Amino acid sequence: MSIRVLNPNAEVLNKSAALHMNINAAKGLQDVLKTNLGPKGTIKMLVGGAGDIKLTKDGNTLLKEMQIQNPTAIMIARTAVAQDDTSGDGTTSTVLFIGELMKQSERYIDEGMHPRVLVDGFEIAKKATLEFLEKFKTPVVMGEMPDKEILKMVARTTLRTKLYEALADQLTDIVVNAVLCIRKPDEPIDLFMVEIMHMRHKFDVDTRLVEGLVLDHGSRHPDMKRRAENCYILTCNVSLEYEKSEINAGFFYSNAEQREKMIAAERRQVDERVKKIIELKNKVCTGNDNNFIVINQKGIDPPSLDLLARAGIIALRRAKRRNMERLVLACGGEAVNSVENLTEDCLGWAGLVYEHILGEEKYTFVENVKNPHSCTILIKGPNDHTIAQIKDAVRDGLRSVKNTIEDEAVMMGAGAFEVAARQHLVNNVKKTVQGRAQLGVEAFADALLVVPKTLAENSGLDTQDVIIALTGEHDRGNIVGLNHHTGEPIDPQMEGIFDNYSVKRQIINSGPVIASQLLLVDEVIRAGRNMRKPS
Amino acid sequence: MREIVTIQVGNFANYIGSHFWNFQDELLGLVEEPHGDPIFKNSSLDMDVLYRAGETQQGLLTYSPRLISVGFQGSLGSLSSSGSLFDNISTYDPTDIVTWTGNVSRCAAEPHKKNLFLQSLCEEDQQKSALYANDPDKEKTSPQKQIQDKDLVECLESGVQFWTDFSKVQYHPRSLYELHGSWTDVQKLDNYGIGKDVLSEGLQIEEMNERLRFFVEECDHVQGIQFIVDDSGGFSSVAAEYLENIADEYTNTPVLLYAARDPGAYAFPVSQKESITRVLHDAVSFSRLSSFCKLMVPVGLPSLRSKLSSVLNVDDQKLFHSSAVYAASIHSISIPLRMELPGPTATSAYVSGAVDVGEIVHILAGQERQNMVTILDTAMPAPSLTDEHNQGSIHRNLHPLTPEVEEDDDDLHAVESLIIHGALHSGDHRASISQVKDAINASYLGGSQKPKLAYLSIALCPLPIPLPFPSIFGSCVGRHGELLGNQSEGAHSRGSLEIDSIPMAARLRSSKAVMPLIERRLGNLRKHGTARGAPGAELLRSWGFGKDEVEDMGEFLSRLLMSLNLQMTLEQSQSKSASEILAHLVILDSSGSEHCLQSWHSNQIYDLYCYVILINSFMVISLSFLLELGLWNHELKSIICLCTDAFKG
Repeated sequence: MSIRVLNPNAEVLNKSAALHMNINAAKGLQDVLKTNLGPKGTIKMLVGGAGDIKLTKDGNTLLKEMQIQNPTAIMIARTAVAQDDTSGDGTTSTVLFIGELMKQSERYIDEGMHPRVLVDGFEIAKKATLEFLEKFKTPVVMGEMPDKEILKMVARTTLRTKLYEALADQLTDIVVNAVLCIRKPDEPIDLFMVEIMHMRHKFDVDTRLVEGLVLDHGSRHPDMKRRAENCYILTCNVSLEYEKSEINAGFFYSNAEQREKMIAAERRQVDERVKKIIELKNKVCTGNDNNFIVINQKGIDPPSLDLLARAGIIALRRAKRRNMERLVLACGGEAVNSVENLTEDCLGWAGLVYEHILGEEKYTFVENVKNPHSCTILIKGPNDHTIAQIKDAVRDGLRSVKNTIEDEAVMMGAGAFEVAARQHLVNNVKKTVQGRAQLGVEAFADALLVVPKTLAENSGLDTQDVIIALTGEHDRGNIVGLNHHTGEPIDPQMEGIFDNYSVKRQIINSGPVIASQLLLVDEVIRAGRNMRKPS
Repeated sequence: MREIVTIQVGNFANYIGSHFWNFQDELLGLVEEPHGDPIFKNSSLDMDVLYRAGETQQGLLTYSPRLISVGFQGSLGSLSSSGSLFDNISTYDPTDIVTWTGNVSRCAAEPHKKNLFLQSLCEEDQQKSALYANDPDKEKTSPQKQIQDKDLVECLESGVQFWTDFSKVQYHPRSLYELHGSWTDVQKLDNYGIGKDVLSEGLQIEEMNERLRFFVEECDHVQGIQFIVDDSGGFSSVAAEYLENIADEYTNTPVLLYAARDPGAYAFPVSQKESITRVLHDAVSFSRLSSFCKLMVPVGLPSLRSKLSSVLNVDDQKLFHSSAVYAASIHSISIPLRMELPGPTATSAYVSGAVDVGEIVHILAGQERQNMVTILDTAMPAPSLTDEHNQGSIHRNLHPLTPEVEEDDDDLHAVESLIIHGALHSGDHRASISQVKDAINASYLGGSQKPKLAYLSIALCPLPIPLPFPSIFGSCVGRHGELLGNQSEGAHSRGSLEIDSIPMAARLRSSKAVMPLIERRLGNLRKHGTARGAPGAELLRSWGFGKDEVEDMGEFLSRLLMSLNLQMTLEQSQSKSASEILAHLVILDSSGSEHCLQSWHSNQIYDLYCYVILINSFMVISLSFLLELGLWNHELKSIICLCTDAFKG
């Protein structure tokens, strides 16, 4: 209570009140996110003050949209969001798991047990669960050509929790092919090499994978072709616009004539660069009907565009920085930073380049490329919030495929792992633990069941029945998950329901850490508040 | 065509921007008005510089600001972030969710109610389209409208909560960006570090860059970027990051930066900790922002009321009021950037003195002094040229909007760029370009202080006062902004209903009067940030700045000061060799090369000694240099002792 002496304004919550504050916050957050989980969850439509609509079924997005004030809840939310940053999924499960750990602990603490003992039990249980996880995982051999079926199953499991089945199945193929396209043996997968582009146009089912690239701008000259076949592609980062050489260099002239001269001289430099490009075009395109495309990261001004158009070159300016990298991966060649020493080797190649115009928005498709290592997922939808939701789902799908390839393992889903781990803890681990820490292990084991329980609840099934059926099967030695349609146990392997190994490991790792920290809090002090008046 | 992209970051910046775009919208509207003032019709101002033409998916043509506005989530009030222009949600039922067949739960925030002004805008739009459909002759009766306008003005005076509440401009869907900070309250977004945290979430900076790229890609030849930032809070770090990316991506595109702050930012700090946080924030924000732009204009006085009370009646508590004054000045500065003229020396009957952003930067910051922190002065409204009521010349009526500057500027090496538009000759007669020119030249000749270089731009087109402009004019201001002699006493302030337009004068001034502003920031950074045991060192570390970075910032600020001081010391010492050494010192400061010093002759070092004493404000820097010298030159050691004695004395 010394804080009272130091600062009479400080608010202090004592032992049990502090603990209950934390437990309630965790439970509250769990209640909000609970309905999200699984293929039968509820989608949330958030309507802002100005009527903006946001659709989400993603725990991560939802947490970020919520105006959380409670410090405990913020702490949990931060952990969950960090989970998404590292592994791309499992936000909802993390929040549920932490909430459930707190809820289970509450029972024991109310009976007079010291949180420290529970926390010790958690620690033991966590270690045992992680060991069990290693044994339980299903290894997948990646090698040169990964097993596409298993990747599809993982992607489908993720996508079906975010989108309706038909669309999810369509996107499954897209995301798996996208990741396999950019994958290079013995190199980490860079998902940025999958461009995600969207058009507000047509319907969600028109979403497709473009092997090649879609740029969100077009040429800026009326005489340039809108469609070209057999194209050489020059990817460059060269300024093709006249600009004063240096702002501070001084621009001294005594009469208009001198000024004109200087401008002409600088203009000439730009023209020289354009001419070098035209020379190369003439070299490679004479005598055949090949075309030539320039995609520049810097600007191209109208006189330069004019020169290029007259030479029959299609030119795009101000390309995305990342597209420079993607273009080279998709079309080949190299990105050049100067037009000196241009050779044919610098050029990439694409079978088809065409422009698509929607109102003022222009899109340039670079397709039919040889051996692409970069591709574009083109999302279509009738309105912005639909597009945004599909985009989120695609991101999750891509990451689940990437995780699978990098983990070289998957976990059986539909709650199978959680039930198996719980039975393992209760049947085998608990007996090896001395004293009251056993109860900690038990609380942990029961908390694991939150995933199948919530799945059942969201599907409108009776949770007790489901848990009894599932644990019964597991005790008989069958590994089963929950069929959310019937409530019967099913074999996830047969149904093709798989989760990411790294996501599960991350949840088991981070959940108990936060729960333990929150349980061990015995005093909450609110002092040093921001006293500035909100004006 | 020389396009400008405008970027507004932060709440107050958006308030200023909202007024700024209202002026532009008014100018556009006045051109179309059938019986309007010809002065607006022949303004010779090219609106395409600031605006872009576009087309919706339905094929409707649009004309919207080439703008990116960054605000915190929820700062848009009743305006949807996708703008109202390209709204086609109405063709779809928003409750129709196509991506999910399962349950739906709907969480709706309390909708922001549109105020009277926005409602009337909405109605007007609908009526317009209805009129086109039915009978174009059926106009509304005017007396009815009068009453309505009065209500609108009153409604805005009594309560503006968001900057969108008084905006009559339609924005492009890519213009409005809401910064998303999970679980961060906008109240707490008050220092550099928090802004940095918020920005690091997700791919927000990437999205902002993408939007900028969208607008730049359309431009055939972008002349520059006009950047307004609210630098009193976390937005300054957002802006700094943004500017860093711009400097990286669009290297040769000059950025004209207005670092604005609202009067509320000067509220008395409650604790010592807070006051340290605040001064460190100011120092860090100033040095970071200035290092990524070509010309920086700090604006924002603690109180406009006390400065401009003679003709303006500004309520400092209202952002709606104070932002209008800054917006008007920024509008004036932007006038020469969009004059339709063939060259810099050409003149027409309507405008004279066109420049582009690069040239204005060159005029102000490119002279020998290379000072890039300038002062913004404004005369609002500008007095008429032949004023019989002793209001004084335009020059005497220019008041600085930049805080913490010296009042009387006796800098002989000042450089300024003066813009006068819509000036009146006498009464409410407009002055011609040549009349203004003559009057200004006369005032330069007759004035006591003369700048070394002055660039004058003149336009005939005055500042139009749009309906949602606050009533901030005193009762002595007439319909065309003329100053009436009979100051009829009365608290009633005049606004858009009584005044159509006002003449404006604004000036950017590069002068050493800005030194106190930089000195204070440098001093605070040293005292609280880098000094041994400084209380703010830990704070700066938590903002992600290591000791070296803080020292670099300090060095950057001292270099800014050094460039301002250069001229002064040269005059006073009258010593050529010392000036050479000084030049060397500046080079040394920036490059760190030490060779030149070894070759110095001892009498040159004596001159250096004089120089050191002359500029005691640079004690710290100079001494550290001398100490470095001392390592190789024994003669110097005695000088160092002398120096330290001199400083003590």
